[in-house]
Amino acid sequence: MSFKVLKETRHFNKWTQNVIEQLRACEFLIGNSEDYRYAVHKRSQNVVICSSSSCHSHRLCPTHRTSLIYTTLNANTTSILALPSTCQYSNVQAVRAFSTVGKDEPDVYVDIDPYKLVEADMASLANDIKKQLNTQETLLKTMSHYYFDGKGKTFRPLVALLMSKACNISTNISDRVLSKQRTVAIVAEMIHTASLVHDDVIDASDTRRGQCSLNKMYGQRKSILVGDYILSQASIALASTGNPQVITILSSVLEDLVSGEFMQLGSKEDENERFSHYLKKTYKKTASLIANTCKAVAILGQCDDFMSEKAYQYGRNLGIAFQLVDDLLDFVSSELVMGKPTAADLKLGLATAPVLFAAQEFPELHPMIMRRFTVDGDVETARHLVAKSEGVQQTKLLASQHSQEAIKSLQEFRASDARLSLERLARILLERKS
Amino acid sequence: MQSHALESIFSKLYSETSLVYLTKYLNVILIPKIRSNQCHCLHFPNRNIQTRKYASHRDAPKSFSKAVSDAEKLVGYPTSFLSLRCLLSDEVSNIAYHMRKLVGTKHPLLKTARGMVFDGKNNLQIRGLLVMLVSKAAGPNSQAPYTEQDMISGVYPSQRALAEIIEVIYTASLIHKGIVNLKDIVPEDGPVIDMEFGNKMAVLSGDYLLSSACSGLAKLGNPDVVDLVARAIGDMMTAEFTEFTDTFEKTNTSQISTSFTDWLKQTRLSLGSLLAHSCWSAMTLAGHSKYLEEMAFSFGENVIYAQQLCKEITSFTNQDEQTSQSPGSLAPVVLFRELASEDEMSYLINYSPDSVYSYNKLLNVVRRTGALEKCQDLCVQYRNKAIASLDCFKESDAKLALINMVTAISSIK
Repeated sequence: MSFKVLKETRHFNKWTQNVIEQLRACEFLIGNSEDYRYAVHKRSQNVVICSSSSCHSHRLCPTHRTSLIYTTLNANTTSILALPSTCQYSNVQAVRAFSTVGKDEPDVYVDIDPYKLVEADMASLANDIKKQLNTQETLLKTMSHYYFDGKGKTFRPLVALLMSKACNISTNISDRVLSKQRTVAIVAEMIHTASLVHDDVIDASDTRRGQCSLNKMYGQRKSILVGDYILSQASIALASTGNPQVITILSSVLEDLVSGEFMQLGSKEDENERFSHYLKKTYKKTASLIANTCKAVAILGQCDDFMSEKAYQYGRNLGIAFQLVDDLLDFVSSELVMGKPTAADLKLGLATAPVLFAAQEFPELHPMIMRRFTVDGDVETARHLVAKSEGVQQTKLLASQHSQEAIKSLQEFRASDARLSLERLARILLERKS
Repeated sequence: MQSHALESIFSKLYSETSLVYLTKYLNVILIPKIRSNQCHCLHFPNRNIQTRKYASHRDAPKSFSKAVSDAEKLVGYPTSFLSLRCLLSDEVSNIAYHMRKLVGTKHPLLKTARGMVFDGKNNLQIRGLLVMLVSKAAGPNSQAPYTEQDMISGVYPSQRALAEIIEVIYTASLIHKGIVNLKDIVPEDGPVIDMEFGNKMAVLSGDYLLSSACSGLAKLGNPDVVDLVARAIGDMMTAEFTEFTDTFEKTNTSQISTSFTDWLKQTRLSLGSLLAHSCWSAMTLAGHSKYLEEMAFSFGENVIYAQQLCKEITSFTNQDEQTSQSPGSLAPVVLFRELASEDEMSYLINYSPDSVYSYNKLLNVVRRTGALEKCQDLCVQYRNKAIASLDCFKESDAKLALINMVTAISSIK
């Protein structure tokens, strides 16, 4: 949106033109989706960026022109358009803030291992899920237990358990995870697995986590039914919390997952819409589950609306960062490490962040994105262009911004090992190799 | 709401005759869409025409269609209707767009879509109707989280929503069961790529329905009901993994391990559980006593046994009605296995599905052992059990309608 407005300011001098280009890149970077909000970062006035709705003024404040600092988009710095927020001329109503990458807070908690804190809870997780899925029918049992072999990352339960602890300590109700919160962690992993099972059928993938996928082994029909079965057992577990609000929150995740899958079917014609479409899809397919799980455990931990929202924001940003890293690993990692073939997304016709960024540098990618890399050689060409571009770095940058946002949402929580672990988790997420 | 947009969608849908399946499919997707209790919904404009179609279909027994239409009047309006919001949703237009590709293939998704609206036999969307009638028969309750004024035609809004959710869940399960294993595809089914696409659509549309059902359930605000309905979904899925299903997937009629107990278990899991748990949930939602919950549950379960026995007897005795179901799994044959001597069993072992002669011989021998008769007796017994569980309700129009419907769906022609 702001991009269009800014285009009309072309009559400005070259310098302004340059700023516009940068702004355009920023806009692209943050997306212009409605639900894609950035909290105002009060501390850093030097990193304020205009929101799409605030760029009505076609002129940039002349008095502050000189104080306008911007850096180039390559390398490890954000493109930053800085205006003192007091500047009337800028007509900034809704200011969206960006912080620079990892500069303001030193990483002093390197030693904390997030898994350590909830080790006991995590250890029995797979068994509890299997118990929940128990049935007399042998095949159903085998199939539904298949992915709960303890080899998965179990990232979602980890976040849920740590968040539970952080919340409980903040509200002073306990220093442990409550059993209902634990149930939510279990439900999250079950929903996640059920959606994996269905996704593998839709994407026709033969492997998952380095092993044969369910659909490859038992056929598509039974795989889908097993997915539904896992979901039904997750609902039973969820109902056992007896909390209608928590049930509603986690049911909304299912709708998000489906609608994310539908979004993946189509690509946007408009190049500018494409990025926000991608981010929205990322939210629905990945972040929604993590965010809503965090919110649910916060509510069970007797957090008020404000704190639950903070928990939600943590999960949301963490989830988006997680997926962005996943998407970039698809380009840089080798098959052996990931447990799934690389450039898998391209082969499925999906344009993820690295490609979308690369398309800014190499416009020839746009037609390929539109035809979903279906022409022979498209996948290879796209991979090559992405490697040549800044796409991967920019994706990493965006992921680290979300990671920073996630850490910021934890500020209101009482300091604790759990909170530190959550912060640490947001950081190590960026470094993961698989 | 933009009415022109809606009109254009309608005209687009109805003008192309080749898209008739698609339209029907959409009806299935859209009609039972769950809406929030406050949301205003429109009657589907073509709904009346379709109802008449059901009623005049040659195979539908007159008494049955009358029982249904009487019952529909009692609860105010049919369970099924269309929500505007849903028609304009991205997901649905997406499905509509992609479904075109499927027309002309033999993907079961199309058959499911057709069957849901226009089954022709006695398998209309009666689950929702029964749930509403049971709700009405149980009447208002001072313990209910609503006042009596909230009731529309004697049914609480939450019970009405539940009735729709049940239909949605059932539709979703049918769609997901219609997914085909790609390695089993034969050339006559159509191109593999189209079949794969059909699967994709089936997964997504089934998931879409299930996820709306889950949020609809969550909105009812009663964790017990979520638990009950989730159990029913679990049972429906479990039914696809039983030994019974396994045995007859191989369509080997000589398998002799299956007993009538297995048949009962299979019927309970695949069909009975959903209706039984829904009837129970309808009582829970109105805060009725544990006793009424149990009675409603028993009603739902026994209705299904009676209906399924009746269906399978009809299916077995009328050769034109041959379904895709393997005859070995039909109730009369299952009973026959328990009653037959070794000599008589040979008819089953030598049965060849393609030969009319072999079929007639099997039919005769099943009659001779008394298995068919026993099946009919059982059907009446389950019907009576169902009707007896209604004793806990006061006499009312709704109760009468329930009795009529149960009688109609378990009457062997």
